[in-house]
Formats: sequence, C-alpha cells, structure tokens
Amino acid sequence: MASPTTTRPPPPAPRFSSSPDAAAQTEDEAPSLSSPKTRESSPACFDFQDDESRQKIALKAAGAQLIHGPCDDAQGPRLHGLLVKGWRIQSNKHFILTMDERERWEKMLGTTHLPEMLFGNNFLELAHLATGIKIKFNALEALHDWKQENLPPVEVSAAAKWRFCSKPSQQVILDYDYTFTTPYSGSETIETEEELSSHGRSFMTTDHATSSPIQWVDCDDKIDLVALRAKDPILFYDEVVLYEDELADNGVSLLSVKVRVMPSCWFLLLRFWLRVDGVLMRLRDTRMHCSFQNDSNKAPVVIRERCHKEDTFSALALNGFPVDSSLYFDSAVASDRLTVRKQHCEKLTLKETNPKRVS
Amino acid sequence: MSDLDRQIEQLKRCEPLKESEVKTLCLKAMEILVEESNVQRVDAPVTICGDIHGQFYDMKELFRVGGDCPQTNYLFLGDFVDRGFYSVETFLLLLALKVRYPDRITLIRGNHESRQITQVYGFYDECLRKYGSVNVWRYCTDIFDYLSLSALIDNRIFSVHGGLSPSITSIDQIRTIDRKQEVPHDGAMCDLLWSDPEDIEGWNLSPRGAGFLFGGNVVTTFNHANKIELICRAHQLVMEGYKWMFNNQVVTVWSAPNYCYRCGNVAAILELDEHLNKKFTVFEAAPQDARGAPSKKPAPDYFL
Repeated sequence: MASPTTTRPPPPAPRFSSSPDAAAQTEDEAPSLSSPKTRESSPACFDFQDDESRQKIALKAAGAQLIHGPCDDAQGPRLHGLLVKGWRIQSNKHFILTMDERERWEKMLGTTHLPEMLFGNNFLELAHLATGIKIKFNALEALHDWKQENLPPVEVSAAAKWRFCSKPSQQVILDYDYTFTTPYSGSETIETEEELSSHGRSFMTTDHATSSPIQWVDCDDKIDLVALRAKDPILFYDEVVLYEDELADNGVSLLSVKVRVMPSCWFLLLRFWLRVDGVLMRLRDTRMHCSFQNDSNKAPVVIRERCHKEDTFSALALNGFPVDSSLYFDSAVASDRLTVRKQHCEKLTLKETNPKRVS
Repeated sequence: MSDLDRQIEQLKRCEPLKESEVKTLCLKAMEILVEESNVQRVDAPVTICGDIHGQFYDMKELFRVGGDCPQTNYLFLGDFVDRGFYSVETFLLLLALKVRYPDRITLIRGNHESRQITQVYGFYDECLRKYGSVNVWRYCTDIFDYLSLSALIDNRIFSVHGGLSPSITSIDQIRTIDRKQEVPHDGAMCDLLWSDPEDIEGWNLSPRGAGFLFGGNVVTTFNHANKIELICRAHQLVMEGYKWMFNNQVVTVWSAPNYCYRCGNVAAILELDEHLNKKFTVFEAAPQDARGAPSKKPAPDYFL
C-alpha cells in the first residue's frame, strides 16, 4: 500500500499561545484521535516568550481581556475565554462523563446508547452582552437532535457477509443510529444580564425548539473566506470536542467546534465528522462569522453557513480518489473530496416583538 | 547481562530495539507462543490487565502499581497497539518479557492485533515512522497470529478480549480453532475478539450489521455449562476502570488511563490471589514529568 505519511499535511505553524497558562499541555501532548502524528511531529520548542508578548500587544490593541476560569490547572479541566468588542467568548474543557452521569443523560435523552467518549461538560459559548444574544454549543443538545433525526444505521463493510450467514434469531434489535449523526448547528437564546453574568449552566431549559426570539433568516451574503485567510493575530483560539465514538473500531464519529477570535471578527466551525471504514464518509459543517462593529451596543451581524457533504467509498473510487481508510485520518482530507449535498446561508435576526435587553 | 535482559532494560526506557533485534525476538517468541493452547491455562495468583493501546508510560505506571514482572504474574487481554504514541515499545516490551519469563506473563490476542486494523489505527504508521520500513510491522503482525485467543485461570475464570460467540457453547470448542491466521471477519475466532455484552436477552446482531451482542442469560448458560464463575474481558472503555455486569458474571477491565491522552478516565487491573479473591487496583495516567513526549502549547490554526 502507498505510504499514508506522504499525503499528510505538515504540522500547523505555531502562532500565539491562546493563554499564558500551562493548562493545555495534556491536551496538546494528546492530539485528536484522527491526527496523532500531526502534533507529535511538531517542533518541541517555540519561542513562547516572544509569542506571549506579541499576544499581549495584540490583546491590548484590540481592547480585549482574557478570562481565566477557577480551575485552571495544568492537568485538569479548564474554563477560559476572552472579552472583546462587547462579546464574551468562552470555552470549557473537561473529561468524559462518568458512568453515573451517563445514566442520568440516558434517562434525560430517552436512550440506552450514548457515544463512548462523551465530553458532556464541554461547551463553547459566545455572548453578546448588550443584546443578551447567546450562541452556544454543547453535547446534550447535539444528542437531543441526533435522537430526533434518528437516521437508519449505516452497515459496516463486513455486514453483507454477516447478513448472509446470521440466523433469524440473531437479527438486529437495537437499530439506533450508532453513528450519532446530528443536524445540530448550535443553539441561541436571549438571556438577561443576570443570566449572562452567572456561570451556572442551564442546558435544555432554553431548548432551541421552543419559541426563540432569535431567527436564522436565509440570506445571499456569504462568509468572506478570503478575508479569513488573512493572518491577523489570533487573540483567542480553542477546539472543543463534544463527543466522539470509535464505532467499535469501524471508523470515527466526532463532533467538535473550533473558534478563533481576531481583532476584527470571530469565526467558528462546528463539524460533525463520520467515517465508516470502507463504507462512507459524512461531514456536517456549521460555520459562523461575526464582524465586530464600532458600536458594540448594536445588534451584531452573524452569518451562518451550513454545509453537508457525503460520499460512499465506492463513489470516491469512481471519482478517482483513493479509498484506503487510513488516508482519511483527518476530516480536512475528506472535506476536499466529498460531494456537497446541501448548503445554505442565513443571518441571525431578532424578532421585532422582542424588546432588547440593553445593559 | 544477557542480550535479552539488556533489551528489556532498553525497552523499559522506551527506546525501541534495532530491526534485526526485533526479528530475533519475534522468532524466539514464536517458538514459545506456538506451543500455547487457544485456551491458555493460567494459575493464580495472577493480575489481569485490559487494553493498553500504545500508552507506554501508562503501562509503566501499571507495573509500578501492580508490581514488576516476574515478581507479579500477568495476564494481558490484548489491544497492546494502536491509538497511543508508543505501540512499538509497548508491544516489544511485553513480548520481551514473554520470552524472558514465559510462565510469568500471558499475552492473548485483541482485535487490534491484526494486519487490517493496525493499518488504519496507528501501529503501521508508527513502525514506518520509527524504522523507515514496514519490516517491524510485518514481524509483529506475524507474531499476532500466534497469540492465544483466551485464558482459563484455575478452571474458574475465563478470560478473553471481546466476549462469547454463538458458535461456542463449550470452552473445549475453542481449542479446535486454527488460530494461526489474520483475524477473520466472522466466525468463532472473530467473535471472541470483537463481541460485547449488552443488556438484552440472548444474542443480537449489532446495529452496525456485523458483530454480536450477548445478554445475561447467555452468560449464565455458558458459565454453568463450563463450570466457571466469571468471564473477564476488556475491549470497551470504562471511565471507572472496571465494570461488573449481569450479577457479577462478567467484568470488563480497562487499563489505559486518560485514554487517547484526553478522556480523563482512570484505569484498573484485577489482582487475583491464590484463592481467586479479587481486588481491583485503580490507577491514573503517568504524571506529565514522567513522560517522554515534549509538552507543547496548542497551536492556533487559521481554519476555514
């Protein structure tokens, strides 16, 4: 077989460290399942001193302030974020849920099956302080939507042979969608200043299915990806995994959200990535972008772009792409090769009837 | 000091062997493993360990809390490789200990000890990266074919990587399998390495369309028919390191703490004394300063 290493991208160039603490060491020593090598082969020593002072200058120039959570230790969980241009952007990273917590979630969601690695306390939140608009990403709501969509299960590559030889008494009874494919693209609420300033989590209490004062309205505007290619300093960066499953060694299912905040805007990508080895790959991307305005009391302009891509491995072969599962260790490789199935752009809009809660 | 003892010391420092040394070690291991039964007999006291997945420094932590081999007897339930950074060093250290102390350590096969799986989940790439060729991967995967499929401790505790198979009702049936081959996609050998217990009645096919799930009544029947008290298996991540099922008829043991270096789970080993009294020892990942990997800050990337 061809050497898989030759197709892999070089490690990303080190930029600013997003926080001067050492909290990320374990994270970093532990790259994502899908790309163990990219990080491991990164150079061991960066000029942190220089990066940190450069970041301090950039933060000061942007009038931004870093947020550090209460449990900011090197090995453990971590909350951190940034206050910038009327936005409070923060992420929380914790470990997977315990058995007891999983049982509680199973009851809440009405299922007996959850992803093997469920980072149930992880979240990303972007709050616009003047309007009370809060955009958030968490696993509970994503799994709620997975349950609602309830896709039929994808058969793994060995299934055809199994179907032929298994007896009627050994049929599938648990026919849930084990890939945990979710249409989730984040959730939005309007919260009062008191709610915004409290750190208490209230997942599901403001379910996005209930009538929200926030609407996403179709628009022709697109996220300006060209402008986003500019190497403006990154004031804050994080990648938060919400859940992950190895599909019992038949591939990968991963829901994660990345965010970067620059002096002029923030940009995020929520990605559901599925690879069923030898069978199919699926990507469901939600990108959001917001340019900062001079008047941070004005309602923000947030554009959301949703894109679904999917192909079977046999379709990839027909398109002339290699079909060795190990080549698709990273969703980025798949993203360039999969066929777009659905795509549209929307703009965040406040319903007229809802009074703004200006602080 | 013999070559083998020197190699063990070297591997304990997480330094891989030369390609020629790996070849010699594998040949010696093959001579030992070929003599082992598909149901390897193991005497208590023994310490049972679950998945390791190339987390070398965490395996060193395991030996620190469980005691060194050969002072402690060990039974490893497979999945030595893939996912972690140090599959090569992890597997070679276990194999070297096997050759040095064949009666003190038993290694059985997990579903990752396979050519097909290791090409997707890391071990193949790691061999290629560390040796510049796939020869070491070939030597190791050839050895995988010789690993035993299960172990029976004092005729009372049946140990296997995955679980039971609908085509196996008696332990003696396992003895008749021709195991010296790549893990097949179906059949008894595949099931032993891949199946999972589940809260169901009888047997079910997994929603993936391949792989079996077995319920509590299947275990009761199997344990009764084979006069055993417990099935000890690995294969599934457990946040607490071990998990009992079906009124203590099955236990899952997981020995990779902070799995994939970020799950935050603890790991466990099951220590059986000479009377088969059970004691779980739970342990955490090796501290950061004990690891060879350099610590780095996350590098923000200009994703689009």
